[in-house]
Amino acid sequence: MSSDLTLYHWEPNANSGKPMLTLVEKGVSFNSHYIDLLAFDQHKPDYLAINPMGTIPAMTHGSRLLNESTAMMEYVEEAFPGPAMMPDDPVDRWRVRWWMKFLDQWLCPSFSMIGWSIFIGPQVRARDPRELEAAIERIPLPERRIAWRKAIYGLFSAEELAESRRRVDLGIGMLEDALAKREYLGSNQYSLADINLFNSAYGLPSQQPDDVNDEKTPNIMRWLRSVARRPAVKQTWTYSRVPRFAERILPLIEEATA
Amino acid sequence: MTTLFLYHGEPTGPSLTVLAALFESGLAADLLHIDLAMAQRHAGEVPLGFEANYSVEGEGPVLVVDGEPTVDSVFIGCLLDDLAPQSGLRPTDPYLRWEMMAWCRWMIERLAPGAAALANIAWTTPRLAALDDAEFEGLVAPIEADDLRDRWRQTRAGLLSDDHRKASEARVHEATKKIDDRLADRDWIMGDFSLADLESYAWVAPMRDLIPAAFEGKPRLAAWLERVKTRPSVARALAQAQKPEPAHGFAPGPEINRWG
Repeated sequence: MSSDLTLYHWEPNANSGKPMLTLVEKGVSFNSHYIDLLAFDQHKPDYLAINPMGTIPAMTHGSRLLNESTAMMEYVEEAFPGPAMMPDDPVDRWRVRWWMKFLDQWLCPSFSMIGWSIFIGPQVRARDPRELEAAIERIPLPERRIAWRKAIYGLFSAEELAESRRRVDLGIGMLEDALAKREYLGSNQYSLADINLFNSAYGLPSQQPDDVNDEKTPNIMRWLRSVARRPAVKQTWTYSRVPRFAERILPLIEEATA
Repeated sequence: MTTLFLYHGEPTGPSLTVLAALFESGLAADLLHIDLAMAQRHAGEVPLGFEANYSVEGEGPVLVVDGEPTVDSVFIGCLLDDLAPQSGLRPTDPYLRWEMMAWCRWMIERLAPGAAALANIAWTTPRLAALDDAEFEGLVAPIEADDLRDRWRQTRAGLLSDDHRKASEARVHEATKKIDDRLADRDWIMGDFSLADLESYAWVAPMRDLIPAAFEGKPRLAAWLERVKTRPSVARALAQAQKPEPAHGFAPGPEINRWG
């Protein structure tokens, strides 16, 4: 690959998946640079030299650095030709942006608090404690340091986890309502809001089969299949290296494309 | 022809951003002043849809566009720019736009929750504490989002943990330094005037009364505060005030990041 665009990413889901799927949807070629989140690659000097914030994903376009995954998606949409990932109507565009903020700040942090407490925390806690402390101390942003500490040592309180579960349950209902009203999340057109949501919600039917299924949430299921069917989604998963993530999405893609 | 109704509070925080952005756009709108700090947004007169009820920004202004209530000041700013593309609210270059959105996200995600908490405790808590329980509960009963109603109750009770207070004050210091540094080679945050100036000013300026130390020894910041304040759109927005201290007219804003 020889492109002046390089994407630094972890697994092709959540925040890393947002700019990646946008790039693939628009047919933009890029160099892929996998950063292993579970090995704390994002806080090592090599990566901090590229993205001093130590967050994933980041993107370099020529000599310019971009971070903040949602803002990166809008950049990709505006800087490159290819199919439009934003609707034309100004109020539809507003609604797409509203959903992305709501997902980024209200719903998805609840998904990830639960995910980190179940999966990522226990996974990294098995490491050498001194190595972990050193890794935490290298994190440049103080708020990320607090978040990692909580995740690594399982410090989320019962109240915090209960509030996250409340938001996920409520959020599932909100998504079902929104997708009953429109074909896609922010408008009747596939957009950045769908890319944003899909990257965090593809695992819902397998993780919460009692809450997200064809009887209770037919519109979420219809929408999940219609996004999973997109060739770009399948293509982004060729960048996955952690089988546990791929195992959760590949059956959905297979079922949707069958 | 698009019809616009703007329900706004005192010209501070998100209401200031949206009023000034509207005036920058040159679009015509009916202005309807409401007392956000007395939960008038929920009293029945303001049309609220799902998005307004669950706005991450909390109690901000509502711009009704052809019957659809829109919320969240930065995105209302983008919407006004989409409706009036010559407004100059956003740069046209995609990279500068990214930079502006990343800047605004810092202001609304990192600064605003803390700034809102400090402003509410200082100025809104006494107003709410003066109400009797039944009157207060009557005001917040129609609020649909449980977590927003909880923030109202915490505001009335004046609850802010020491950790959150310290983190919020640190954010104000960080914001004033960020702006002062940014202005080393320019008059406006993005070079040319933009939504980033409005959003930053709307959250930062009211902090002068609360954390004066964050403003000391920053001449570029001081000059920029004056420049923004006297810009015609902002001066006109500030003229919408109905109270002697409009900067103090806050209502429960965005929640402090649950991840720490």
